[in-house]
Amino acid sequence: MRLRPAALLAPLVLLTVLSSPPLAAAELTIPPIPYHQRTLPNGLQVISVEDHASPNVAVQMWYHVGSKDDPQGRSGFAHLFEHLMFKSTKHMHAEQFDRLTEDVGGANNASTGDDVTNYFEVVPSNHLQTLLWAEAERLSNLNVDEANFKSERAVVEEEYRQSVLANPYGKLFNAIDPKSYAVHPYKRPTIGSIEDLEAATLPDVIAFHKTFYRPDNATLIVAGDFDPEQLDAWVDQYFGWIPKPATPIPQVTAQEPKRKKNLRYTVTSETAPLPAVAITWLLPPASDTADSIPLQVAAALLSQGDSSRLYQSLVYRHQVAQQAGADADGRVGPGLFTAYAILASGHQPAEAEKLLHEEIIWLATQPIPAAELDKVKTQLLTGELKQRQTAQGLAFALGQAALIDGNPEHVNTDLAALQKVTEQDVHRVLQKYVTGAHSVTIDYLPQAAKGEVK
Amino acid sequence: MSRRMHACRLAVFTATIIASSIAAAADFPATPPAPGPAPQLSVPTPSAQTLANGLQVVSVRRAGLPLVTAQLVLRSGGEMDPPPLAGLADLTASLLTKGAAGKTAPQIAAAAEALGGSLDAAAGWDESAVGITVTTPKLSQALGLLAEVVRQPDFSAAELKRAQAQAIDDLRLMLSRPTALASLAASRGVFGDGAYGHSRGGTPASIARIGRADVQRLHAALYRPDNAILILAGDITPAQAQQLAQASFGDWPKPATPLPARPAGKAASQLPAVLLIDQRGAGQAGVVAAHAAPSRGDDGYYVGTVANAVLGGSYSARLNEEIRIKRGLSYGANSRLQPLRDAGLWLASAQTKNPSAASVVELMLGEFKRLGSTRVSADELAARKATLIGGYGRSLETTSGLAEQVGELAVYGVPLDEIGRYIAQVQAVTPKQIEKYADKHLDAGASTVVVVGDAAQFAADIRKAHPQAALLESTALDLDSPTLQPAGSRK
Repeated sequence: MRLRPAALLAPLVLLTVLSSPPLAAAELTIPPIPYHQRTLPNGLQVISVEDHASPNVAVQMWYHVGSKDDPQGRSGFAHLFEHLMFKSTKHMHAEQFDRLTEDVGGANNASTGDDVTNYFEVVPSNHLQTLLWAEAERLSNLNVDEANFKSERAVVEEEYRQSVLANPYGKLFNAIDPKSYAVHPYKRPTIGSIEDLEAATLPDVIAFHKTFYRPDNATLIVAGDFDPEQLDAWVDQYFGWIPKPATPIPQVTAQEPKRKKNLRYTVTSETAPLPAVAITWLLPPASDTADSIPLQVAAALLSQGDSSRLYQSLVYRHQVAQQAGADADGRVGPGLFTAYAILASGHQPAEAEKLLHEEIIWLATQPIPAAELDKVKTQLLTGELKQRQTAQGLAFALGQAALIDGNPEHVNTDLAALQKVTEQDVHRVLQKYVTGAHSVTIDYLPQAAKGEVK
Repeated sequence: MSRRMHACRLAVFTATIIASSIAAAADFPATPPAPGPAPQLSVPTPSAQTLANGLQVVSVRRAGLPLVTAQLVLRSGGEMDPPPLAGLADLTASLLTKGAAGKTAPQIAAAAEALGGSLDAAAGWDESAVGITVTTPKLSQALGLLAEVVRQPDFSAAELKRAQAQAIDDLRLMLSRPTALASLAASRGVFGDGAYGHSRGGTPASIARIGRADVQRLHAALYRPDNAILILAGDITPAQAQQLAQASFGDWPKPATPLPARPAGKAASQLPAVLLIDQRGAGQAGVVAAHAAPSRGDDGYYVGTVANAVLGGSYSARLNEEIRIKRGLSYGANSRLQPLRDAGLWLASAQTKNPSAASVVELMLGEFKRLGSTRVSADELAARKATLIGGYGRSLETTSGLAEQVGELAVYGVPLDEIGRYIAQVQAVTPKQIEKYADKHLDAGASTVVVVGDAAQFAADIRKAHPQAALLESTALDLDSPTLQPAGSRK
């Protein structure tokens, strides 16, 4: 592809810009997270890290189940189930988790992703024992009734309406996975659909809990202000007795085929004020760190901050886009490299798409100034350091490393690997997975609301 | 004889396994274990000095990780926008980083990001701030950059034009969200044509009217050391803070002219008590109910804070309990109390499917009434206080959270050691005080209700209870007008 003259000027501008800031004098040192790991006889993984910076403790249960495990015809089920875990158990009434967290000065939430579902709490550290009991209780004794099931399903439907229907770009981001995967269950959106949610029944809930919510499909992470010997005793006491089922855990065996051609789709919106475009490419699993870490660097070079290449090109110089971004979404299975733009007034998706491709091709083939590479590494490392200021942040870093990247040690080794990423690494991964691969493009177009008079 | 011994041993072993398993399950407690003794939260103490030019320097130390948040905060914000130029203060703040001291916007962005952070600038009400979070070794360079953008912005015509186009597009995006539009309209309902009533981010029309001279004039009037606070939070000592502040800001001259007068924040409302705004095709309705509230200096600040915590400050507060937990009508309903220098706002909001908007309106109004007519129980009050206190403690765990807490105190002239009294003050609030506060400030007769969404699905239902509800089209609003309608229009 022959590059437009404007694009040829880009590196000169970048070189001028990047010659101004000083080079990082030395590599930034981030203290390693000194975690402890063990496995109970029933298969429960336990990861803990002491941090007495503040008198709080974070407790997170990561279940190795996500929207990829939704039953057939029940998209959104793993997420719906996550909401139901806050309803009643044998020994807790509905919403009692909030009594044990919010009402004592803590906080709780949960999230469902493609691969994992996590329940995360932070409480004053004197409530750790209580929370360990509560997490063990809902793992072993969930007991949702019909009334709570229907009420919470209605809440999830409102979450769908809020994040997909009422959010001007909700339908675009919700369409990315369905359009990007051909056969892998990642194809199903995590939030599901109103129709599939309405099709869910209480027996489905019971079956899902029995199949996926078991100690050998879970990782408990504790970070913060606690005594390690006391923690171990409590974990053994509250979790040790929970039996490991004899049946195997269902695994996703679908293999996403390599794309054979570029594809294009159009999605419309009644509420988006401006058009948008998104382009995706398939990536290897996140555990393939030889490639996934350089891919993270490539995405950051493209879109982390106002000095990033996509911002400078699409938003600043050409003023074609209001927002532009790139993301290397590593997953347990095949991931996605996504580049997107939300247009500025008076512009069309084709203009932004052309510029997105130009910047990616340029990054994949031309020299990357050392100062720019250093800038991105400093940004990523500083971001990690910010996350580790809190117990909850430490626990999330460990969960991501253990469950998505495949080993908790990534929480430390990946930072060292990040500092070693070279221009050649970035070129290699972009050429392999992006510029040398087939794409899916989604044009997102505003459409007049029904009944509107013009 | 030997055959009998073998059978006996196996049986015992099996029984042991079964017994052990049963015992373990039976030992699992039916009630949660009680908490241990409460840990003590240590709140860092801010240190403050004033430079010769009037710049207040506040540092608050949180050692541990080598991070520092630096913020330059002005004691002025969007309320200083001249009437035809809504959004001027926010646009001016955003332009600080778009060229300064001979550096271009891309050069400034690259310089900040090479330090690992980003320079973020915006104007709120009563304050404007520009800040960055970096690792300690990079702090000196970060402050040098901060000083350049604050003191020597270029405000080039090209950057102004670019910022205006981007601001207008951002506004179009924001206004397409039902709750955002409803909140903007409700603020008009509470503050009328007062300074706090206009759109702080501006409107497409007002942003387009802003000229370079307007930006330069506002910057000259407000960006001065005697109207500014430099906050440094994190891995830094007071002596280091003083030294760094002097190096980057010590020679920033204090002007001879006085600070400009502040306009009145609040004026009479010109909106109906219930306003429906038709946003055709909206996937959900945004429901907002708002009231005037006391200003930041009011004696009842902590009573209001706790009252809001009970009403809608968290997941377990009343609004979410009634709207989400009991009825499944929303993914979240909440309220916020916003005390400002000259007036305040108390606003509840929720998004719901269009057909249930009318129910949500009544539920909100019902909770307002209940808070002002019935005492909060001791249990509920203790729980909501605990939520507030826990959240406060966690906000002090990060350098940016620390900077924000200290900055708010400094902007409103509250003694900085108040940071250590928050918990005791919250604990001291009584049910009687809350009832009295809510009765006074959540009066149903003074509510402003705004519902934005697909009005065909909710207007008739809402008018059953509120026949006087007015209906406007989202595409025909004039957000610069206190009536929200274009000049010359009558309904």
